[in-house]
Amino acid sequence: MPAVSVRDLRKTFQLKQKAAGLRGSLRALWRPSLQELDAVRGISFSMDEGELLGFIGPNGAGKSTTIKILTGILHPSSGEAEVLGRVPWRQRQELAFQIGSVFGQRPQLWYHLPAVDTFYLFGKIYELDDRELKGRIAFLAEAFEIEELLETPVRKLSLGQRMRCEVAASLLHRPRVLLLDEPSIGLDVVAKQRLRATIQRMNDLEGVGVLLTSHDAGDIEALCRRVIIINDGEIVYRDKVSALRRRYLTVKTVDVRYNEQLPPDFALPGVEMVKVGRYGAKMRFDTRVTPVGPVIGGLAAAGSLADVTVSEPSLEEVIGAIYARAESKDG
Amino acid sequence: MANGGIRQASPVNGVRSPSLKAALGKYWAIFRTQLVNSLAYPIDLLGRSLLIVLFMWIFMNLWRVTYGASGAHSIAGLTLADTMWYLMMAEAVMLSKRDLSEEMTEQVKDGSVAYLLNKPFNFILYHFAAGLGHSVLAFGGNLVIGAAVVWLMVGPPPGIAGWLFAGAAVILAWLLDFCFSALIGLSAFVVEETAAFRWIYQKFLLLLGGVLIPLDFFPAWLQTFSLNLPFAWVIYGPARLFVEPSLARLGQVLLQQGIWLALIGGTVWILYRRAAARLAINGG
Repeated sequence: MPAVSVRDLRKTFQLKQKAAGLRGSLRALWRPSLQELDAVRGISFSMDEGELLGFIGPNGAGKSTTIKILTGILHPSSGEAEVLGRVPWRQRQELAFQIGSVFGQRPQLWYHLPAVDTFYLFGKIYELDDRELKGRIAFLAEAFEIEELLETPVRKLSLGQRMRCEVAASLLHRPRVLLLDEPSIGLDVVAKQRLRATIQRMNDLEGVGVLLTSHDAGDIEALCRRVIIINDGEIVYRDKVSALRRRYLTVKTVDVRYNEQLPPDFALPGVEMVKVGRYGAKMRFDTRVTPVGPVIGGLAAAGSLADVTVSEPSLEEVIGAIYARAESKDG
Repeated sequence: MANGGIRQASPVNGVRSPSLKAALGKYWAIFRTQLVNSLAYPIDLLGRSLLIVLFMWIFMNLWRVTYGASGAHSIAGLTLADTMWYLMMAEAVMLSKRDLSEEMTEQVKDGSVAYLLNKPFNFILYHFAAGLGHSVLAFGGNLVIGAAVVWLMVGPPPGIAGWLFAGAAVILAWLLDFCFSALIGLSAFVVEETAAFRWIYQKFLLLLGGVLIPLDFFPAWLQTFSLNLPFAWVIYGPARLFVEPSLARLGQVLLQQGIWLALIGGTVWILYRRAAARLAINGG
């Protein structure tokens, strides 16, 4: 049985519309015009127990709405979803014991109190006995490297420290599924890496499944084997992260420099010249059309090579291209 | 690395039936955490409690002139000392109320309500426990400082029965006020902004609830009207009981509070179930 399964899930919100100015406001009072917004448009996917699944998309794509439906706090307009065999919006309280959640932009730790006070409060809320709770806090403090931070008021922690405490708090009751909604938002590079390492460690140690939404493709690349890309309420891509690379990273960019001057009409068959200078050139080719071997052979034959760099687009660029493709299909 | 060795938090597919002890333990922990949270800024807490000194000074000047002008020892059965002790209790309750409606409204607006709805506790009871944690401390501070000031102004307070009876009524008054706040707060799930409802409720408490004037001083028709509304039983009931602690009055106050609690509390419960189903959460 998958940990999470979603079938043809839809969520429509009604938004009040108002024309500009006083007249618009008065008209909206008299006759409010409602516009329907399809936040999620019939998505289906599943996540296995213990899987780290990436769930990404631009702002307003429907990621957070989906997560909120999966925690049971929003009712879908139609469709089915099960988390650990339970229908979230019907069995929200029972499910709460089995799942954890962190909404990166909304703190759950008490701001003026040390994190450990919230940990003890959560222990009571999740009905853990005192001895178990103490052991659990000690374990998580070590795993998340927050021993030194637990007794400092949360308001005095850095964002990275606070986020490690937030994720640790969400794991106190040993959830089997963790829903992480933008946990790395606003973090610097070092803090991001530390948070990723900790999430990976908890997945290794306890097998907790993680549904991770993020703006940062680096989070997905570092943690997830599989990724779902959602745009405008619809799934536009689902596969392994490695397949994403293979499928979309066929375009190579080559920067080459020579020890002698290049002819102005320098060209290679099947290769697009982006820029040709006196001693060097920048070019692009698709490995599905032009194999790598002849290109490298051609470069070597053209003169005495000083330097060659072959690079591929970042995952970020790939995802950008997928969004753009999905949008141009719609438009 | 040592594993914490905790057992699975609940049976995997079993139906969980939390014991009463565990359920009460949750709300007790929420109450206690809020209590500790309120103590995070002791100077702020003290500062708020000092407000009652200003109010009592204004009331003393106002009522001394009124009693002096009327030439009577008592008005509607209340002496100047009774009136001042009444107002001290009324202000102590009024100033210690936690405005939960504002908090709930903010939580709906900024989306943090998501965290309160996906935890294994009842959203309404969570707010009540947290509100109580706030009110108990604020009430204690108001009472100590307010009583000291009024004692200096008009002499000793009513007897022990007054404190005990009023104490019981104040707990029910908080519950009743909480139900009003929850009613206003829950409307945020539908209308999002609730400042207007909150303003109206505050003014009803001030005028018809007996915060500014003991209802006994009203003309008979207005007194009857006010006593038939719930606002009187949030403020007037406990404060009047404090200065006239008879068993008959205790019975009347508790009965009225019980009736209004059942009515308004029941409405809150029904509305909560409906509101949760149509919740739209802001942000992301």
